[in-house]
Amino acid sequence: MKEILEALEAKREAARQGGGERRIEAQHEKGKLTARERLEILLDEGSFEEIGMFVEHRCSDFGMEDKKIPGDGVVTGSGTINGRLVYIFSKDFTVFGGSLSLAHAEKITKIQDMALRNGAPIIGLFDAGGARIQEGVDALGGYAEIFQRNVLSSGVVPQISVIMGPCAGGDVYSPAMTDFIFMVRGTSHMYVTGPDVVKTVTNEVVTHEELGGAKVHAAKSGVAEGAYDNDFEALTQMRRLIDFLPLNNREKPPKRESYDDPDRIEDSLDTLVPDNPNKPYDIRELIQKTADEGDFMEIAPEYAKNIVVGFGRVEGSTVGFVANQPMVLAGVLDIDASKKAARFVRFCDAFNIPIVTFVDVPGFLPGTRQEYGGLIKHGAKLLFAYAECTVPKVTIITRKAYGGAYDVMASKHLRGDINYAWPTAEIAVMGPKGAAEIIFRKDADDPDKMAEHVKDYEDRFANPFVAASRGYLDDVIMPHSTRKRVAKALRTLANKKLENPWKKHDNIPL
Amino acid sequence: MISKILIANRGEIACRVIKTCKRLGVKTVVVYSEADAASLAVEQADEAVFIGPPPAAESYLDADKVIAAAKETGADAIHPGFGFLSENAGFAERVEKEGLIWIGPNAHAIRAMGDKIESKRLAGEAGVSTIPGAPGEIENAEDAKTAADKIGYPVMVKASAGGGGKGMRIVHDPKDLADSFKSARNEAKSSFGDDRILIEKFIEQPRHIEIQVLGDKHGHVIHLGERECSIQRRNQKVIEEAPSPFIDEETRAKMGAQAVALAEAVGYDSAGTVEFVAGPDKSFYFLEMNTRLQVEHPVTELITGLDLVEQMIRVADGKELPIKQDELKLDGWAMEARVYAEDPYRSFLPSIGRLARCQPPEEGDGVRLDTGVREGDEISLFYDPMVAKLIGYGPTRIDSIDTLAAALDRYLIEGVQTNIPFVAAVLSQDRFREGRLTTKYIEEEFPDGFQGLSPDPAQVRLLSAVAAYAHAIFTRRAAQATGRINGKHVAKRKDWVVLFGEHQIPVRIDLTDAGADLTIEDRSATLETGWIPGHVLFEGRLDGEAFSVEMHDRAEGYVLRLGGVKGRALVCSPRMAELHAILPEPDAGDLAKTVLCPMPGLVVSLEVEEGQEVKAGEPIAIVEAMKMENVIRAEADGVIKSIPVKAGDTVAADDALAEME
Repeated sequence: MKEILEALEAKREAARQGGGERRIEAQHEKGKLTARERLEILLDEGSFEEIGMFVEHRCSDFGMEDKKIPGDGVVTGSGTINGRLVYIFSKDFTVFGGSLSLAHAEKITKIQDMALRNGAPIIGLFDAGGARIQEGVDALGGYAEIFQRNVLSSGVVPQISVIMGPCAGGDVYSPAMTDFIFMVRGTSHMYVTGPDVVKTVTNEVVTHEELGGAKVHAAKSGVAEGAYDNDFEALTQMRRLIDFLPLNNREKPPKRESYDDPDRIEDSLDTLVPDNPNKPYDIRELIQKTADEGDFMEIAPEYAKNIVVGFGRVEGSTVGFVANQPMVLAGVLDIDASKKAARFVRFCDAFNIPIVTFVDVPGFLPGTRQEYGGLIKHGAKLLFAYAECTVPKVTIITRKAYGGAYDVMASKHLRGDINYAWPTAEIAVMGPKGAAEIIFRKDADDPDKMAEHVKDYEDRFANPFVAASRGYLDDVIMPHSTRKRVAKALRTLANKKLENPWKKHDNIPL
Repeated sequence: MISKILIANRGEIACRVIKTCKRLGVKTVVVYSEADAASLAVEQADEAVFIGPPPAAESYLDADKVIAAAKETGADAIHPGFGFLSENAGFAERVEKEGLIWIGPNAHAIRAMGDKIESKRLAGEAGVSTIPGAPGEIENAEDAKTAADKIGYPVMVKASAGGGGKGMRIVHDPKDLADSFKSARNEAKSSFGDDRILIEKFIEQPRHIEIQVLGDKHGHVIHLGERECSIQRRNQKVIEEAPSPFIDEETRAKMGAQAVALAEAVGYDSAGTVEFVAGPDKSFYFLEMNTRLQVEHPVTELITGLDLVEQMIRVADGKELPIKQDELKLDGWAMEARVYAEDPYRSFLPSIGRLARCQPPEEGDGVRLDTGVREGDEISLFYDPMVAKLIGYGPTRIDSIDTLAAALDRYLIEGVQTNIPFVAAVLSQDRFREGRLTTKYIEEEFPDGFQGLSPDPAQVRLLSAVAAYAHAIFTRRAAQATGRINGKHVAKRKDWVVLFGEHQIPVRIDLTDAGADLTIEDRSATLETGWIPGHVLFEGRLDGEAFSVEMHDRAEGYVLRLGGVKGRALVCSPRMAELHAILPEPDAGDLAKTVLCPMPGLVVSLEVEEGQEVKAGEPIAIVEAMKMENVIRAEADGVIKSIPVKAGDTVAADDALAEME
């Protein structure tokens, strides 16, 4: 009997060794941890329950029948993060370069099925070389099985991908369909076709980093929602993210003790909006002073910086913050900002996370670049997202809410539950100068008259009271009491019930 | 009888004057520019009068507007504060002519002391020691020798037209004089096209010492002892104290007598300061006289018990001095730090902006704070970037240093960078604590700029305790969130490893009601604290010793600052610490070398030139987009290789604004 037990332990030990000492060392030399080491950081100590440790591939072509390593290039199982269940798969670069075989794919789909059935988030750690070519169509089929489950899980359980090494070809599309992608600077890249193919096809000479490094995707393409300096930081931040998220779409977001007074007054917010209407300010200060303990986890901080999105808490419960950022491009809505915010709003809606929106928006960005890029349809994504959303929506206009962008930013007309404005708010079709120039075109050459018209328009519309008199705003509030008012509003909305008409699914302008 | 004072100033000094006026029951009026409409001074004053746009020339320096404001509000006197119109003799005259009382010295005194040559001449006549030097130009090496012998070595041979160290030679040994004279002359000729040469005494290890004087309109002048202001950066005073650790009773009496003699010679009738440079042999020489209230006046107030603003008002009102010279009593020690909005880690670049957080230490218990800003205010580019003066007072010099240092640790400012870590670093240095100061102190002690101090073992211990405690609290809370299947399990760990710089400190922590019992590197410790998540200042006592640490919980770890020490701490299980050690240090080399314009717009101005060295975060260009000015900053350190755009250009998103190398 003892021998049998020992044999099991030996088999386990062999599996834990993955691709062996030499490959583990090589992994470390590249500045990366191994698949299992990563799980030690990501999950609570001792909480990892491995599933499928002894799975091996069944390929018998090209001599593969002699090369079998238990686990087959991916470590899968469940564990907890601060006591809450998550499912994980972690690609093992030391085993066949983490490449995907049918057996490997089956391990992942098994985990995906469990996550979906048991209602827990799934986190994938990517560090792999793509399909295992020896397996041919089996590998391709494996990918598709994963994709299918990504789609079925979407909106049911949170799906997170962390790119911690190469991720190319078929491997990129599973992350692409998850809720969030994060990358590690310097060691990860992500692309559909690598530099070699790019050179053959287009003659473009480009490095891995330039083609699909963390900087490219976190700042330029927007494919990734964030980038971290190393494996350690990326994984500890994933723990932080999971702490904000509900386990599935049937649950409310987690609640934890808050050390922060919900009635906290922040006098300095009374001077956040500068006297000069053309002077920018940092909207993140408002978010930090509204959220519990100033704790705000920004999503996609490097991309489309003219809009800020991310998670915070009010009275211990998760809130999604969306805010125009006057510091960047005056907080204008453009293609990238609309896409970024729309996706975030839909995530919050899918997972019962209330949305607090801070509005200071001068409109949509004009120009051929935007129009040719399809601003109409991309801008409509954010409009669509806010309009269909049924979670509690609290909106505060701090300064500008001009034109169509006023409508878009969680206005009353899009079923905003509580809509407030600061006294500094200006709600109008456009800025006073532009408006006066159109209404009083005949006086265009008379600067004195024009100034008078501008002043007139300003007096009438450069304040929140017209909108408040129509009921489009529920109240005009003191900036210093923003946290208090938001907290109260969210409290009243805790049991909000609102349903959209039955449909198979909507047809958001993709 | 003065009953309403107009303060022709802003910020900290305006608030300072208001404070005394409130105590005396005198009404106050401040004038303010557009930039100061919502300032603390405007809030505190009984009345406020708007006088123009932000640039000082169009507001605070506009005498007509200031006078008009005084008339309009019925003020009967004007206090000029310091800077702006305070040393403008014409304005002082004008105030009097308009029938208002000028709270400052008479115009004659201002004028006489305002002229460098005239003031030196008057000082000489009044028996004040001036830097020995040959009266005129030196024609040849022979004359140079005669002059130098008379002055006494070391001497400085310098170009009459000189500046920036060019054409300047310091000669210690008579045999080097002829060569130095010749080379200085050649250099003067080639650099300035003017080979006239002067010789004067060279003061080694100079210290900046100044005497506070106070006069009334009845011919009385007394001095209130000295202040030492040797800690300067580029001629800007950073730390000031009173008394000076260098000055003994005898020297004080001598210096004081000379200062009083000079003040009497010009009929001085207010508060003023006579500045001296002192050498290591306690020789001292007159530099200049400042005919106004000095920025660093609080240190004198603390050790004399006199309110200098009150005294200025009293004497302006015709009252006699409250004490005679022999009644002056100096008590205790006062140490002042000027808190500037500048980034000490980036060669002290000005750091203007909004004070998103501004929580000053509480006053009392030997702490005094003079400030004119509060949370949410703006440090603007139009005025001096001083945020506050923080003063520590105690029975001895070391007490005053420790009190000030502790208060600096409790001063929380976010939104702009400040020199607080730098000042704290100076206060902690042995050389400073021993009082071995010179005006070259900062250049000598920080020749390569300031990168923060390395923590000593006690500081490492304290910072480890702080990080471990915060982590334990966060962990405990996280393990109580809803939706757990595994809660208890998580909070079980008590043994952690704190990674701080190159240190790996094992910490065992047991949370208690009052804080925690810890074992840090095998030595036990008791932490008492009321810290809770969300507090940036972590205050408490470690083994009874009070401390405050600034702590930010960031993606990269706990970022901690204590005094002049700043660093990142990670709190790990022992296994996580092992794993962390496998990873290389993050490399900053990945950052872009091309500064791209993030949006389409108009280039308003370029803030750099080709060949210029820039640090990450420094402004490269200002681009106007959507009618707003956006500052585009460098993402990495480097040298500007080329600038493909110029002011006035229209740029598209992702156009290069500058190439760096």
